[in-house]
Amino acid sequence: MNGTKLHTGGVDVGTSSIKVALFRVGEGEETLLAKVHERIRRRDPKDVARRCFEHALDDAGLQESEVAYVASTGEGSMVEFRRGHFYGMTTHARGGLFLVPDAHGVLDVGALHARAIRIDDRAKVLGHRMTSQCASGSGQFIENIARYLGVTIDEVGDLSLASKNPEKPSGICAVLAETDVINMVSRGIARNDILKGIHLSMADRLIRLLRSADIQEKVVMTGGLSKDEGLRAAVIEGIAKDRRVACEVVTHEDAIYAGAIGAALWGAVRHRTLERRKAETQAQSTAASPA
Amino acid sequence: MEKGHTMRTPEQIAEQCEQIALDDHLGEVTKWREETGGHAAGHLPVYTPREVIDAAGMLPVGVVGSGEMEIIRGDAYFQSYICHLPRSVVEMGLTGRLDSLDAMIFPATCDVIRNLSGMWKLLFPEKLVHYLDVPHNHDPEVGGVFYAGELRRLAKDLSKISGVEVTDDALRTAIEKRNESRRLMRKLFDLRSDSPEKVPTSELYVLMRAGFQMPQDAHDALVKEYYEAALASSRPEFDNARVVVIGSFCEQPPIGLIRTLEKAGCYIVDDDLLLGAHFILDDLELEGDPFTTLAKSWFDHARSMPSRFVPDEVKGEYLVQLTKKRQAEGVIFAAPSFCDPALLEQPMLQDALERAGIAHTSFKYAENNGQFHPILEQAGTFTDSIKLWSEAS
Repeated sequence: MNGTKLHTGGVDVGTSSIKVALFRVGEGEETLLAKVHERIRRRDPKDVARRCFEHALDDAGLQESEVAYVASTGEGSMVEFRRGHFYGMTTHARGGLFLVPDAHGVLDVGALHARAIRIDDRAKVLGHRMTSQCASGSGQFIENIARYLGVTIDEVGDLSLASKNPEKPSGICAVLAETDVINMVSRGIARNDILKGIHLSMADRLIRLLRSADIQEKVVMTGGLSKDEGLRAAVIEGIAKDRRVACEVVTHEDAIYAGAIGAALWGAVRHRTLERRKAETQAQSTAASPA
Repeated sequence: MEKGHTMRTPEQIAEQCEQIALDDHLGEVTKWREETGGHAAGHLPVYTPREVIDAAGMLPVGVVGSGEMEIIRGDAYFQSYICHLPRSVVEMGLTGRLDSLDAMIFPATCDVIRNLSGMWKLLFPEKLVHYLDVPHNHDPEVGGVFYAGELRRLAKDLSKISGVEVTDDALRTAIEKRNESRRLMRKLFDLRSDSPEKVPTSELYVLMRAGFQMPQDAHDALVKEYYEAALASSRPEFDNARVVVIGSFCEQPPIGLIRTLEKAGCYIVDDDLLLGAHFILDDLELEGDPFTTLAKSWFDHARSMPSRFVPDEVKGEYLVQLTKKRQAEGVIFAAPSFCDPALLEQPMLQDALERAGIAHTSFKYAENNGQFHPILEQAGTFTDSIKLWSEAS
């Protein structure tokens, strides 16, 4: 990264939570100074975004005026203090590459959508595939299932990993799968096995995305479900059985911040571009004005 | 401003305009008729010289279809490979939504609109139906004379309904008044280009579209009010991509689509939405024969569009120039599905943009689209590519 050091912020407004990342960028440095994550929980996302940003400023010991560029991603209109906005795919690509520098793909699994993104070594998006309106590859789906089973979303991963006899739902439709789960509960199937079955079913969809996006190398899982080790294990298990896809799926402890991280890092690029253009315009007008 | 009168915000004015603009029962027109006892003439979205309707003492009403209502009867008249606009226009007619109109003018746009004018004659024999042909020969002695004759024929037809003869003086007065309206609209377009954060296209669009259903003076007053309110507004300026949107001159996209482009990080700095409202680019002269003046405007003062044939035109040059004038960083082709004029011209326009090194993307829509996520995705990645990769080696 060229140029003098500057601070930038990224605010990722998702369907269920808001993530903020603050960076110091320049002179070859890209340092994550602060990260804040908060669930929205029926509050005004604008207020939550503002609060998270202020919290991150406190953690980083910065004033708002010291942040050169704040970029939003996700529902950008909820970030009234933004300077610019980047689309989620662009920011997850950049954030994923920051977290796993040798990644060539990103598997972003959020509350409503999942997408597989093929990237180059500059985080430029080369191709992607995304789930459509169907909810069965998304975090909201697993959250609903967890609620039926009376477990918290944080417990889902470990419970799934402890499964011995996974019970897959009969179809991939989220609505039908939820009915299936209710039947499984009444049939006395263990929670571990239900969750593992759900994870395997979701993994099938995610692997199809990876395959059709033609991602064959290291892939970093990002988004809210990147924390779900049960899901990642199911994806790895599914890939091992599928000869058509050979990627290695990894994650990172900060992978839920990938969108916010990407927004902050792209914000730095954009800030420098705008500054350079401003300087060029000033130079031109100085040259054009009479002595 | 009067003492004690509170200035409305741009959002408040836009909200009023949206209610008028999207009312497919033409409530404002019905109200005007009840209040004045006057006659109204409808015209389809692509350019109709409204001065002729004004001079005939009638209210010009733009009929732009509707994406809001369910099409029950309209689909029976058109094959599945025809655009959506004529279906909703037929539906509006057959459900009585256009009963407030005494005449319908169909400006030459494409085969579908020409056939629609024929259907209208069969469906509504009691109403005046006028197909307004346009010149393809740009020799003033040939195409000019032909078009002036067409406009005289239109004036005569309208006079029969309103009982008001279209005199030269009345037509000159109408041109002068429309010059003023166009000036106001140009000022607003320029403000949008200079400060796009102050004039979101989603607001400018409903403001323009409301004018298709309102008396000119009342609409001019709204435009002035909006201009002042927008100028005084303190909306934050975002680092968005400046784009021109092209291809939406006839069937109109749903307002949600325009908002989606804005949400994706676009500042739309020029467009051909509702082209009839801003087709004439500058003031028309007031001297001489006013029919000839209007006819000449087709050749000398009009914006390029696929339905306006121009011999020896370098296709796409106007779009390149427009993009440069508005300092736009890219062009979005947003054309209605099955719109032959827009989609046949698009490859030539894209070639011109590529020669000029201007980024572009394209998608299709129908006026009744309700799902915008794929467009958000496409427009979002397009603006990101402009902002991040346009200067990359």
